[in-house]
Amino acid sequence: MERIRIVHYVNQFFAGVGGETKAGLPVGTRPGPVGPGTLLQKLVGDAGEVVLTIYAGDNYFAEKTEDAVRAALGRIEEARAQVLVTGPAFNAGRYGTACAVLARRAQTELGIPAVTAMFRENPGFEMCRAAVTVVPTGEDAAGMSAAMEVVARLALKLGRGEALGRPEEDGYAARGQRRNESHERTGAERAIAMLLDKLGARSYVSEIPVPDFGHVVPAPPIVDLTKAKIAMVTTGGIVPRGNPDGIESRRATRWGKYHIAGLDRLQPEKWSSVHGGFDTQFIHDTPDRQLPLDILRDLEREGVIGSVHDWFYSTVGAGAPVHRARAFGQEIAADMKAAGVQAVIFTST
Amino acid sequence: MRLELGSFPVTRLSAGPTTSWRDGELTVDADGLRRAVAHENVEALEVHLVNPGDGVRLIHVLDVIEPRVKVVGGRGAFPGFTDAPRVAGEGVTHRLDGAAVVALAEVMGSVDGQSVKEAIIDNVGPAAAWTPFSQTHNVVLVFHFVAGLTIPEQLATVRVVSVRAAEYLAEPVRALTPPRREVFDIDRVPGANAGRPPRVVYVSPLMHEGSVHNTYVYGVKVSSTPTVFHPNEMLDGAIVNADYHISAYRSATFHYQNNALIRELHARHGRDLDFVGVVICQCLVVDHLEKERSAAQVAKLCRMLGADGAVLSMQNGGHGWADLMLVCQRIEEAGIKTVLVMAEMSDAEGTDVGLIMHVPQADAIVTVGNMDEEVTLPAMPRVLGGTQFLDWNNYEGQVGAKPSDAFRTALRRLHGVCNQLGHSRLVARTH
Repeated sequence: MERIRIVHYVNQFFAGVGGETKAGLPVGTRPGPVGPGTLLQKLVGDAGEVVLTIYAGDNYFAEKTEDAVRAALGRIEEARAQVLVTGPAFNAGRYGTACAVLARRAQTELGIPAVTAMFRENPGFEMCRAAVTVVPTGEDAAGMSAAMEVVARLALKLGRGEALGRPEEDGYAARGQRRNESHERTGAERAIAMLLDKLGARSYVSEIPVPDFGHVVPAPPIVDLTKAKIAMVTTGGIVPRGNPDGIESRRATRWGKYHIAGLDRLQPEKWSSVHGGFDTQFIHDTPDRQLPLDILRDLEREGVIGSVHDWFYSTVGAGAPVHRARAFGQEIAADMKAAGVQAVIFTST
Repeated sequence: MRLELGSFPVTRLSAGPTTSWRDGELTVDADGLRRAVAHENVEALEVHLVNPGDGVRLIHVLDVIEPRVKVVGGRGAFPGFTDAPRVAGEGVTHRLDGAAVVALAEVMGSVDGQSVKEAIIDNVGPAAAWTPFSQTHNVVLVFHFVAGLTIPEQLATVRVVSVRAAEYLAEPVRALTPPRREVFDIDRVPGANAGRPPRVVYVSPLMHEGSVHNTYVYGVKVSSTPTVFHPNEMLDGAIVNADYHISAYRSATFHYQNNALIRELHARHGRDLDFVGVVICQCLVVDHLEKERSAAQVAKLCRMLGADGAVLSMQNGGHGWADLMLVCQRIEEAGIKTVLVMAEMSDAEGTDVGLIMHVPQADAIVTVGNMDEEVTLPAMPRVLGGTQFLDWNNYEGQVGAKPSDAFRTALRRLHGVCNQLGHSRLVARTH
């Protein structure tokens, strides 16, 4: 049987070329397995061959990521790898990040499956968990053999194009990826069975995981409102008529920033809403209903607030995936902060 | 209240000079059907007979209705539509088991920002297994309206004609002896002397939002004041669907007529549980105080029914899921344990949070699948219903293909696939 061609990525330390002082080393290669790669080779036996080891200094990878990735991918492709193994990185943060980035890029750019391994709290873990097979390890290299056993087994499976078993069975981290499947019982049967278990004080497992959005610490209150610059942000999809930025009416992939300096109100002829989830007729009649510019201008004139920001920020909230909404919020916040905005009137629908 | 449901299996659908049923074969006289349901708003009505495995793609699906005839206890099988709004669920009803009227119409544009969403049924291919309507023998009606009708008028016409067609098709079995009989009677609790089985209520939110999408209860749109319902009522034609929003999670009339949760509760009644009744309420209540009012009232009715537990289904979604969570919260606060049945929107890759809103009390949820997951459907040379996909305001993202082409779509567009009354075996798991 053909031996699965494995390429292994390690950092400068595990490649045996040096410690922290060599963390700036650019991408290099060695034929065959090196360092922990020899254990990997032993574990895959005749079923696989570690044909190449690629290494780079942790600092080099962090500071010159693009160069490092391009160089490494080039070598991986030349070596005709059928699977890429990166790490195990345990709790080494820069190493784990490099493992995660390289594994993901090899998958998306070369279409080569990748498996990596690291400690759950390594920053690289969450970076790639959804896209790449990650084996959770202990905190340090004392767990090398245990980790490599799982890595070796998964590398062969992935290299052969075999489907992996469920995460608990095959030893890799759940991707947090929901996938539709067939059950032996209907939803109705499962619902009544679950209710009877709940009523009978027996254990049951909810089929939809409870979301955990984490905790956001609120900003401190404004000290002096009469000096504060206020901005408006909306998920109600207010855009200039014609929607020049093409914000989608559902599952928006972008947000817009629109100039309102000198405007007393939002004229219906110039503004509209592209939100796809509710009846926007009232907004089209009077856009200030969604974005209260008219009221804010009154407050500005009366000296209740310091000023209104020259821009408002807008996107469509309908069907927005949480990770995108989070990213939009971070980007908009950065823009407002740079402009000296202190408080936000946020309107949703 | 005792309902006897007589089932006549349909294993084959064919055309013939008269409409009749014999040994599983339903023969349909298309001209007779057209005459029986003639309506001034309908300029032309296509009638197609589609059997499972035929390789046909149905688009612009508006509703699916099981053929029924009221034999004893009323004059029509859809009170409020084909009969006075008498209480359904008593007497004798005959059904064609394995047949369905499927109503298609190309209804474009919007009213109050609401539009009809694309709804597809393929009866072969990768998505066929997920919808019950690939396994039914479908009498497909494609509507062509006279000019000048508003969208609500078009949809009202479809509803009225479709229920009449459902009765017309079942009429041949009115006087026949059914091969299979079921009795639905929760007043009889045989063998319930050893201990008291838990009392269970089924809570069924029904959607109503605007003038396009609704649910009809005895011919009238569902209101935001919850009501106690007898399970037989829902099984016997009291509910007619008028929800034409996202296809995967709307419930067709057929889903209510064959409500999987009611059937399962009934199967377990008297043994594992005491099925005490149904509470129907509105979801997609547009005013937040009215949402609170509705949730409080649902919990009150469950308490008055003496419920120990409640199973909650769902219809549609969006802020309707907020109604569901509020109702769950109030019921749990009343000391009644809940289980929810609902679809999730976890993004195409399955990595997004699947719920729009969650409350801590909702700790027992059954999923009917992630409707964002995508599937590639094969090219299908025979398409009924229209020549282009509906996609008002780019709400769903462009399909970019003709209906007869192969194309990739989220499950959202596929009718019945993520139905939240618990019909299917589709489940989502975390990998």
